[in-house]
Amino acid sequence: MTTPTLDDNLIALIERVALQDTVAMRALYDATSSKLYAVAMRVVSNTTHAEDVLQDAYLNIWRIAGDYRASLSPPMAWMGVVVRSRALDFLRKRSSEKSLAAADIDDTIGETLQGDSPDPMDASDASEQAWALHECLRKIEAQPRQVLTLAYFKDLSHGELAEQLKLPLGTVKTWIRRSLEQLRSCMARFA
Amino acid sequence: MNIGHNPELLDRLAASYALGTLRGGARRRLEAYARQSATVRTSLLLWQERMHAMIELPMPIQPSPNVWKRIENTLTMELETLRNSKAAIKTESLAQKLLLHARQAMAWWRGAALAGAVATVAAVLVGVQQGNTLKSEVGQLSAKLQSAQGEVTQAALAVKQAEAAAQQAAQQLQYVAVLSDDKSAASVLVTVDTSKNRMTLQRVGAYQEAGDKSLQLWALPAGGKPQSLGVLSGDKVIRLAADASRVKALPTLAVSLEPKGGVSEDTGPTGPVLFKGALLQTAL
Repeated sequence: MTTPTLDDNLIALIERVALQDTVAMRALYDATSSKLYAVAMRVVSNTTHAEDVLQDAYLNIWRIAGDYRASLSPPMAWMGVVVRSRALDFLRKRSSEKSLAAADIDDTIGETLQGDSPDPMDASDASEQAWALHECLRKIEAQPRQVLTLAYFKDLSHGELAEQLKLPLGTVKTWIRRSLEQLRSCMARFA
Repeated sequence: MNIGHNPELLDRLAASYALGTLRGGARRRLEAYARQSATVRTSLLLWQERMHAMIELPMPIQPSPNVWKRIENTLTMELETLRNSKAAIKTESLAQKLLLHARQAMAWWRGAALAGAVATVAAVLVGVQQGNTLKSEVGQLSAKLQSAQGEVTQAALAVKQAEAAAQQAAQQLQYVAVLSDDKSAASVLVTVDTSKNRMTLQRVGAYQEAGDKSLQLWALPAGGKPQSLGVLSGDKVIRLAADASRVKALPTLAVSLEPKGGVSEDTGPTGPVLFKGALLQTAL
């Protein structure tokens, strides 16, 4: 089970935000912004852009808080999806406005792929699902795993991954296929 | 092939669907299967939830305090705009109320102009002009009112004045006709209050029928037989019943000279038509 009090607290805050309670909005921001900022950073890979996305996402949460209850999702997952989709919108808009600043991306991906260990995580407030995923990802080799997480956060296709990572398309496809297979059999045990 | 019956393949496709690497036609086909099959749908939703858990994995990073400041500023601005627009709606509805009352007052003015001794068709035109002047004054007033947000007390005062005027205009005239003789001199004013099903006739000319004659009021529907609306007594002001639904369809009214007591509708008018005029709706 997740820690019920934490989720309950967040749900209560979201419901107050739906009633345009700015005090609750501040409390919700304090409780979640560092996690959501990390998500935005993963997608847009740039401090300034991630801050813009975060601001945009919270304003969106402010406006759609009334819809939260119907989503049936845990509060962090719901807000995380809002941030990710806002961040992806931001990337799409930028890439249509001008070609992506390739230097930026290369740096980030270089950093991402250098990291050897899976993302350390704070297990105390993670959902059951996140814990399972974390455990399963840990068993996957570093590079395929990082290509996998990059594909998710930036919503990239095989071709886009190959291009941005300067890897052969076949390699990307193999890594993704293999890491997905491992993930599937591992996750099945948690189901 | 039904992928719902191939759990291994479905699971693999659902995982790459949720990751986002399943693209193009394959992605659309899987979505189409999902719409038809609950098994496929369940599998996609399960994998979406599993992948979205990736959102919880990155180590938290503290964003710059400026982010909250910007959010707070935007929220303050939005809430202020919201409050202002609510106030604006309030002021606007107040102005509309004022306008409505003023229009009722105008109806009274127009009625007064018609009922007065200056009973010529021209008087009606003057009335319309007065009405227009009043209308433009009201328009200016309501524009002022809308721009002067917050001056609610002033508006409330204006509404009270308008209400007082409206009370005077309690008897609202909805149809009027000025019946004139062949020299265009107004002789009879007809007003119809459909809310009370009442028609009021007022003799304003000097004409007086002989003792053995009566004046009879007729409606002349377009392309139809004249309909008798009643016989006029010798009084200055005559009240007749008027069926609201019938009045709406009557374009022209006429008064004919008939034997004492009038004639039946079947016979139709027998004497000369002395006065006639169009029935007009007082659309203000």
